Amino acid sequence: MSIAFPVRLGAAENALIDQLKSLGADATAERITVAGLPTRRVEAYHYTDLKLLLKAIPPLAQAANAAGVSALDIAGAQRLAIVNGVIQAAPAAVAGVIIGKAEGTALSTRDDVLVHLNGALVEESLTLTLEGPIDHVIQVDRRIEGDAAHAADSLKVFVADGASATIIETFSGSDAAHVGNHATYVTLGKDARLTHVTVDLSARAVSHFATNEYQVGENAQLRTLVVHAGAGLARTHLFPRYAGAGAHGDITGLNLVSDGQHSDITMMAEHAVPQTSSQPLFKSIARGRGKSIVQGKLVVARDAQKTDAKFMHQGLMLSDEAEILSKPELEIYADDVVCGHGSTCGKLDEDSLFYLMSRGIPQAEAETMLVRGFLEELVDPIEDEALAEALHGVIDGWLLGK
Amino acid sequence: MTTPILEIRNLHARIEDREILKGVNLVIPAGEVHAIMGRNGSGKSTLSYVLAGKEDYEITEGEILLNGESILEMEPNERAAAGIFLAFQYPIEIPGVATMTFLKAAMNAQRKARGEAEMTTPEFMRLVKDAGSQLQVDTEMLKRPLNVGFSGGEKKRAEIMQMALLKPALCVLDETDSGLDIDALQVVSKGVNALRANDRSMLVITHYQRLLNHIVPDVVHVFSDGRIVESGDKDLALQLEAKGYADFDGAAA
Ligand SMILES: Nc1ncnc2c1ncn2[C@@H]1O[C@H](COP(=O)(O)OP(=O)(O)OP(=O)(O)O)[C@@H](O)[C@H]1O
Ligand SMILES: [Mg+2]
Repeated sequence: MSIAFPVRLGAAENALIDQLKSLGADATAERITVAGLPTRRVEAYHYTDLKLLLKAIPPLAQAANAAGVSALDIAGAQRLAIVNGVIQAAPAAVAGVIIGKAEGTALSTRDDVLVHLNGALVEESLTLTLEGPIDHVIQVDRRIEGDAAHAADSLKVFVADGASATIIETFSGSDAAHVGNHATYVTLGKDARLTHVTVDLSARAVSHFATNEYQVGENAQLRTLVVHAGAGLARTHLFPRYAGAGAHGDITGLNLVSDGQHSDITMMAEHAVPQTSSQPLFKSIARGRGKSIVQGKLVVARDAQKTDAKFMHQGLMLSDEAEILSKPELEIYADDVVCGHGSTCGKLDEDSLFYLMSRGIPQAEAETMLVRGFLEELVDPIEDEALAEALHGVIDGWLLGK
Repeated sequence: MTTPILEIRNLHARIEDREILKGVNLVIPAGEVHAIMGRNGSGKSTLSYVLAGKEDYEITEGEILLNGESILEMEPNERAAAGIFLAFQYPIEIPGVATMTFLKAAMNAQRKARGEAEMTTPEFMRLVKDAGSQLQVDTEMLKRPLNVGFSGGEKKRAEIMQMALLKPALCVLDETDSGLDIDALQVVSKGVNALRANDRSMLVITHYQRLLNHIVPDVVHVFSDGRIVESGDKDLALQLEAKGYADFDGAAA
């Protein structure tokens, strides 16, 4: 046994250790005691140093009054809610959707503190089995209400062979300094199609953490969109795994950050078998002293020949003080693949702005049109009109806000 | 005497440390079409950008009056609402912005600036349809993002279509004929001529006399090294075509 260097623990770490012990999660408590929260020395947390950024952990969430409205209203959606980690009674499910519960977190075990915490805190996961083409958008409304709370929840989705669906998850709640630890695990069967959108609309005081894991089967098509538009500190960790020939993922994301906000999307994609493809596309818009981070790693296994994957990150700076950071990484063990990455970062194009204004459009409106134009690539592929409209609403709300 | 639509007095403009416009004087009375011809790099597009209010240029001297009012302090959008329209030599492609959304925003913004009510959607659709059919801009093109993937000629037709919709007091056409095939030149010229009116003036920048057979100018100006060096009637364009610029600006061809 090696002797670990003792780590000086901060208030947040001590609170976590106490909470974990109170839940009987001694192993996880021990990990944090030994290693502390990840710092920038841990690759996946390089730009999001949790030891530095997480100053305090509020008490564990108690069941709260679940009444309240979802942050996003999508016409015609089948709505399910998880409030303060407690799965709410669901209304009658639409045809083809089986709603259930499963013990513990839905995530796979991996060496990640947020995954361990989710495993320790979540008592039961909401499960959705989608058996065929589902016409209604399914909305999972996750909220943390009441006084500041440390809440965790988990969703497990199984999209059966040939089934298709659109799921939107929204994260919101009261404006206290919550820490949310959210998990989603999705399996796509053969020929399945899923659009999975997650939108953080939490209050500015909130620290929002989400881990999304995807197993994409043979010929299955996955489209995802993460939008960070709320919490002061937001991080979504994506783990798509292409596990069947013909599997394809359009993994997309958007950080909308204002002064004082820190948003991070980190993707670790694994192309595990031959003939899979992915098109990860992320965008960042930062203003004030906002900070946006996008990290993307493509891992191509040794026999995953003919993998076709390209990671792209495009940033738009709306102020000089804003920061947009990008870290692409390729880890390729196969020899016959087409993989790449690219990133761009700039301000609004002056010539485009002048063109619009020369037609009579005032500057603020012209800027808004250009920003919307920049983001259209992410929203346009969302087929459900009510959902696309709601997403436009989120973007416009951010543009109009400060 | 009635106020001219455009009056430019001794206009000097520079970009960074380089003076490009060196004393432009130009008066365009209402209803007239003036053509400007001149060597590459003589400053014609610069003049058009300065009129439209592009901020890269510093005006060091002179005055620009539109209907007797100075526009130098106005933003580009305010100038547009006051009646200036520039058909760009190189129209800008804007991905993600739908052409129809853009047209509606532009028309309504100008109406709003003039204190007029917004258009209804059916009214807008009808106007666009009419202007589109006149300039052979089909509805499929209008569904695309603004100018994205338009051919050179399509972009120019789309510019004139915007002009027809916005009904400016002063139309500035910067090499609208370049890149047009013979038929498109006819279509565009027809569209421009249809907009000729007693209360509207035009400034047509071109390298080719051919365009002026279609859009017959009242006055032709020769532009050289940042100023107008010669003015005359439409025959001046024929002389230029025959002899080149050397006779007019003294520089070797
Ligand atoms: N941003 C800039 N920085 C420096 N010089 C510039 C800039 N823009 C234009 N110029 C210079 O100003 C001069 C005039 O350019 P302008 O585009 O007005 O010419 P033009 O008469 O329209 O030419 P053409 O017939 O080729 O269209 C050129 O020498 C050009 O290089
Ligand atoms: Mg030019």
